[in-house]
Amino acid sequence: MATAPQLPSTRERAAQTPFYFNSASHLLRIGREKATNLQELLEAIRNCPEASIFQHTFQTLEEHHFIKEGFSNDFSHWTFAACNEVELAERLAAIDIREFISIAALRERIIHVMESYLQKNPRAAARPAMEPFYLMAADLVVVPTPYVARNLSEFADGMRKVSVHSIYYHFIDARLRLKLNTNDFSVWLEQELDLARPAAKLNEIDIYTATLEGVRRSILRIIEPEIGRA
Amino acid sequence: MAKNKELEQSRTIVAEENGSRPEAKTPVAPEETPAKEPAPQPPGGKERRFRQTDLPAHFIERRKHPRIQTEPPPPPAPPRFADYGPIIGQPELDEIAFLAKLLQGKTVKMVNSTAVGGGVAEILNRLIPLMNELQIPTKWEVITGGNDFYEVTKGFHNALHGGEYNLTQTIKDIFLSYNEQNRQRMQFPEDVVIIHDPQPAGLVRSKKDANGKWIWRCHIDLSNPHSDVWNFLKPMVEQYDATIFSSPAFTRQLSVPQYLFYPSIDPLSEKNKELEESFINKVCDDFGIDRSRPILTQISRFDRLKDPVGVIEAYKLVKKYVDCQLVLAGGGATDDPEGAVVLQEVMDAAGDDPDVIILNLPPWSALEINALQRASTIIIQKSLKEGFGLTVTEGLWKEKPVVAGAVGGIPTQVIHKLTGVLVHSVEGCAYQIRYLLTHPEFAVQLGKNGKEHAKENFLITVNLKRWLLLFQLMLGMARPSKTI
Repeated sequence: MATAPQLPSTRERAAQTPFYFNSASHLLRIGREKATNLQELLEAIRNCPEASIFQHTFQTLEEHHFIKEGFSNDFSHWTFAACNEVELAERLAAIDIREFISIAALRERIIHVMESYLQKNPRAAARPAMEPFYLMAADLVVVPTPYVARNLSEFADGMRKVSVHSIYYHFIDARLRLKLNTNDFSVWLEQELDLARPAAKLNEIDIYTATLEGVRRSILRIIEPEIGRA
Repeated sequence: MAKNKELEQSRTIVAEENGSRPEAKTPVAPEETPAKEPAPQPPGGKERRFRQTDLPAHFIERRKHPRIQTEPPPPPAPPRFADYGPIIGQPELDEIAFLAKLLQGKTVKMVNSTAVGGGVAEILNRLIPLMNELQIPTKWEVITGGNDFYEVTKGFHNALHGGEYNLTQTIKDIFLSYNEQNRQRMQFPEDVVIIHDPQPAGLVRSKKDANGKWIWRCHIDLSNPHSDVWNFLKPMVEQYDATIFSSPAFTRQLSVPQYLFYPSIDPLSEKNKELEESFINKVCDDFGIDRSRPILTQISRFDRLKDPVGVIEAYKLVKKYVDCQLVLAGGGATDDPEGAVVLQEVMDAAGDDPDVIILNLPPWSALEINALQRASTIIIQKSLKEGFGLTVTEGLWKEKPVVAGAVGGIPTQVIHKLTGVLVHSVEGCAYQIRYLLTHPEFAVQLGKNGKEHAKENFLITVNLKRWLLLFQLMLGMARPSKTI
């Protein structure tokens, strides 16, 4: 049975600080480091700039946002596809960037996973890869969008209209900016609209098994029922 | 689309007949001196003999005498910026427009060595109108030189790809004197000057007298250059404010920043735009291709590095288990003696199998290639060596499962088992084709992922966005985010 669309309440709660939807565009810089085997990759990860770790873990999720099966980060993918080290690839893939609020900590975790694997499998270290791994770095430029939300209806409307790059910027990239295990959307919903439960639900969305379009749909599924209640 | 029907009617179809190529007008090229190119001969210049099959006579006749266009079509008008909205989405278009707005009034100059032909001219023909439409005045200038200069730059090109070369003082003098002549002739008052490839690299001497930022855009693979030639060019390159390469694998160690700009395709070009199903059917009909059976296609010039014979061997392994056709379509066999030899090798490898369809197409066959790719079940690019591999990009964009050699820029495009499959041998190629033909749901998923990958990374709109970002960074109008 068709139901009437839920109209926003005229007395919908207004935020004191509006939510400005931004987006981020990035340029790739070619780094100096290159690896032709796992030992070289480990060395490169130890010595490369933080922007390279960011590129191959955070930024690559945006670049491959449409893949929902079997893609986690570039290090894992290369270890699997070019080095055929399935166990190491699995362990690297299991590193979840949502657990990290600094690149330094993320780098340490990657180094730890690789070191422990290579200690147990020393012959894998120097085995030549089928293709080299080139370390890159991303320069991110923040781009404003025309969308501003002063209440939940406008927030949902903006969420429907912004590009997936905007969703990436606020939902994934934000963790490093905020230095918190959360995201811009949840912070705003909780602080400005007192929506603690939906804010927490947003943080349960799995960015590794959903595309960014899927993330958008999940966010809307969580917040739309709240419209009119907020 | 009515446009296609008009086009079909306006174009001459003459089988096995030579035709001269009328001069095609390019929309913004600074100079127009297109060389006349001979129309293609039928493959091998002689009729293939096919073994007896159950194929209808109609297919056999077309396979022996494909109906190949002998005249180029009139060039279409270049698309407008807004035309890309339905393809990339309004939010993405808005973001590009926003980046451009901040740059309005900033001036740009692009310099390269040829106004027509070649990938660089093709890209500039598309990119420059878009930049001008976004009110970033962009000029395109082409350097001039005598035959001696172009002989030198051709030699440099081959040497930079690893070929043998004897770099003499005379050769250096020819290169430098033509660069100096062009430098004296040109002025560089623009905010950003972009020099494409090695031929005009020496223009950077004018940088000290200009206020703009200078960028060297290298479209070629410098991974294994002749050391004398590279050591001659490197001091020039290091005078630029930044460099751009098409792949991290193509770079050298440099003291200046290196950016990565993937080559791009235009989704609204003849080669890539959406086609009416009736036009695709017509093209298949012209070439004798049976759309009721799987079609494997490799589009590439007849060159051993594209391994067309390896593709035929893979097809033969597949054919034992799955009834299918192989289309090998490309050019370069008419005006290139080596191409003709390779074409003959391909014909010999195909033998009397009527399901191997070999098409030596003229350079104006963009629509036909588009139709062939769209009609295909699987796109193959089994190269042994490759630049970036834009035919792979074209296949991805058309949502086709791609089976490709893991060389050059292909692994950037084909993420193994996610956006296509990478292969390293004839047997691997055959196995992956068989797997895709018998697991169509997996093939469909690869095609979908591949299209998204192309949309996200390899379209001209992404390329335009990268340029705008780079201009902002170079001109100090934007700073990288402090996220990290």
